[in-house]
Amino acid sequence: MTDLTLSPMNQPVLPAPRPYWGWVAARLFRPLLVRLCAAYLAVLVLIALLVPLMANGQPYTCIVPATASHAAMRDYPLFRDLSSVDWILLVVAGALAVQVVVMSMSRRLAGPQRMMRRRIGAVVITGIIIIAGSLIAALHHNRLDAVNYRSLARHGLITHAVFPPVPWGYAEMEPLSKGLINQFPSRRHWLGTDGDGRDELSRLLWGARIAMGVGFVSQIIALALGIVVGALTGYFGGIFDIILMRLVEMVESIPTFFLILTFVAVYGRHILDIMVIIGVTGWTGYARLLRAEFFRIRNLDYVLAAQGTGMPLWRVLFKHMLPNGVTPVLVSAGFGLAGAVTIEASLSYLGVGVQPPTASWGSMLNSAGNPATVFRWWQALGPGMLIFITVLAFNLFAESLRDAIDPTTMGRR
Amino acid sequence: MTTYIIRRLLLMIPTLLGMTFMLFAVVRFAPGLTTSGGQFSSGIMQSRQAQKQEQLIMERRLHLVDKNGRPINLAMQYILWLKSTCEGHLGTSIVYQEPVLTLIEQRLPVTLTINAIAMAVIYLVSLPGGLITALNQGRLIDRGYGFFSLALYSLPVIWLGSTLLGFFANPQYFNWFPSAGLHSTNTGNMTFFRYIADYLYHIVLPIVCSVYGGFAFLSKQIRGSILENLQQDYVRTARAKGLPESTVLVRHVFRNSLLNLITLTGMSLPGLLGGSVIIEQIFSINGMGRLAYTSTLSRDLPVIQDLALVGSVLTLLSYLAVDICYHLADPRVIYD
Repeated sequence: MTDLTLSPMNQPVLPAPRPYWGWVAARLFRPLLVRLCAAYLAVLVLIALLVPLMANGQPYTCIVPATASHAAMRDYPLFRDLSSVDWILLVVAGALAVQVVVMSMSRRLAGPQRMMRRRIGAVVITGIIIIAGSLIAALHHNRLDAVNYRSLARHGLITHAVFPPVPWGYAEMEPLSKGLINQFPSRRHWLGTDGDGRDELSRLLWGARIAMGVGFVSQIIALALGIVVGALTGYFGGIFDIILMRLVEMVESIPTFFLILTFVAVYGRHILDIMVIIGVTGWTGYARLLRAEFFRIRNLDYVLAAQGTGMPLWRVLFKHMLPNGVTPVLVSAGFGLAGAVTIEASLSYLGVGVQPPTASWGSMLNSAGNPATVFRWWQALGPGMLIFITVLAFNLFAESLRDAIDPTTMGRR
Repeated sequence: MTTYIIRRLLLMIPTLLGMTFMLFAVVRFAPGLTTSGGQFSSGIMQSRQAQKQEQLIMERRLHLVDKNGRPINLAMQYILWLKSTCEGHLGTSIVYQEPVLTLIEQRLPVTLTINAIAMAVIYLVSLPGGLITALNQGRLIDRGYGFFSLALYSLPVIWLGSTLLGFFANPQYFNWFPSAGLHSTNTGNMTFFRYIADYLYHIVLPIVCSVYGGFAFLSKQIRGSILENLQQDYVRTARAKGLPESTVLVRHVFRNSLLNLITLTGMSLPGLLGGSVIIEQIFSINGMGRLAYTSTLSRDLPVIQDLALVGSVLTLLSYLAVDICYHLADPRVIYD
């Protein structure tokens, strides 16, 4: 009771009750390990968003010296050559940064008006993201830039070139004649090169984008499906429940990995296909969890009150019931994320994942050689460690979240 | 109870119908449906006539054309396939030119033995692990075991598998274990015990890979149910009447906690038969998982359809078996 303060009227003022999620977050982030996991995952997401600026063969900027025909001019090869997906992700990263700043600023000056202003700010920013994203996607023309800027810079054909920290793209191969394939780590390639003479470090960083992208997008698809089916079955019950639960059983009864393999083999291996396939095969657990929660919640007084005020159904379901039943689903989604990363890596390892030359941790493991004859362990170490730590971080995070929302562990720790 | 079983069996019918429909749709609407298989049996030497004949037979088997070679529409195809499957005729593989049932008969024992051994190892570690961590709840050993088993669970099998193979079955480093297969080439002139020893020697690495991820889940479940049981009244009664603590734990708490194991074991039964695609692929074991993988790659439709069908029937049946066994083991559990 240290927070008690005296108001001017000499009345003790109790501190405002903490919102539920603030309380959970405080419990969740108490152990150091969880903070480390969160930091690691945040860094990984940042890498996934910003990787074109970190590992790329083109310089940020350079000066093309004057020749007889034109004057010296400044060029921006990297930015000129970003794909529309890169631009959209960069805009998302910028918007996220703004959001974080706004959040941390407004927490200090909390109050209903500030809350309102924050919400309006969030809406505005989201709108800007959507408009900017669709504009970029519509206007941008991706072009193929096969110029080797490193050798241009070495031969003085461009000057003042500023290269990214890892000056290699994910698909850039060392020329075969140099004999730089399957290199051990060196100063030129910090983690060595693979069998095609591509930089391992650059491919590891780009692989983070595939792993995070597949993980998050597939789980968002799975969550959306699972929440809708779970909410409807749990709320209505009866014949609705019987029919939809048969659908759940249908999807559940086929072994997941076999189902995914079949889908991938039949419908193609574009990255979007893989995201959708993992999502569509992985929603049943969420549906079951939410259904059980809604069975419990649907007869509570506040739901009856909400129904009694004549609210539309979706508002009762998703505004009033969902926040009270969603926590076990979120815990499960943490494990689901870890599972999706593993599945994507396994698919790529088996050679049915994202298509080459796209960098994926699984395909990098596969290209570390046929383990029974030639095994280049340093090529397997990087992707293996990254998959391991990423999956472990998601799992630890999910488990800590489960402990944090579990009222039976209140007294402990 | 009988009513319950009958109701469950009846509810399985729409599930299976929907499942077969889904399978049929997925496979039939796939671009590039192939019927001209026989890559292994029929060579290039075949005459054009014979090839055409073979393709016609394949199409007949898949119910794509009728007796006179006229195409059948999709709805009829589905019904015909369903009919022949219900009569117990599984399809014939396009690639291997063998009935799917024969393929399953060849592959199932391989997968089953490996998975049974792996499962035994998992239980042997997880049961004491769960008991010890439950009794030391919150202490260092509990947290350490929890973290360690979660780390093992997170360890990707594609990495550990290929690294184990790369270091311990590789002339480049340590050539301790065989790199592929389940038997040496000269099994014919081995005595029985030599044969078993040879087999065990071959499955060391695959077993390691299929075992290590299973500890976390099982020990966590056992730990949870032991903790739950420790708070029951009967434990206090048992202690109050002066039973030694070991008897209370082993005879009362542990036995009651094993009830949950029925569910867990039942749920893992389909996986036991299914086999792991990745492990079988890494260690070149010709089991069910590898059959599924190669058939999806070569688009061997009858095999894909029938494997998924058999798998899901087994899954549904084992879920039912779980509920029945639960009732048998604990008569307090009654289904309406």
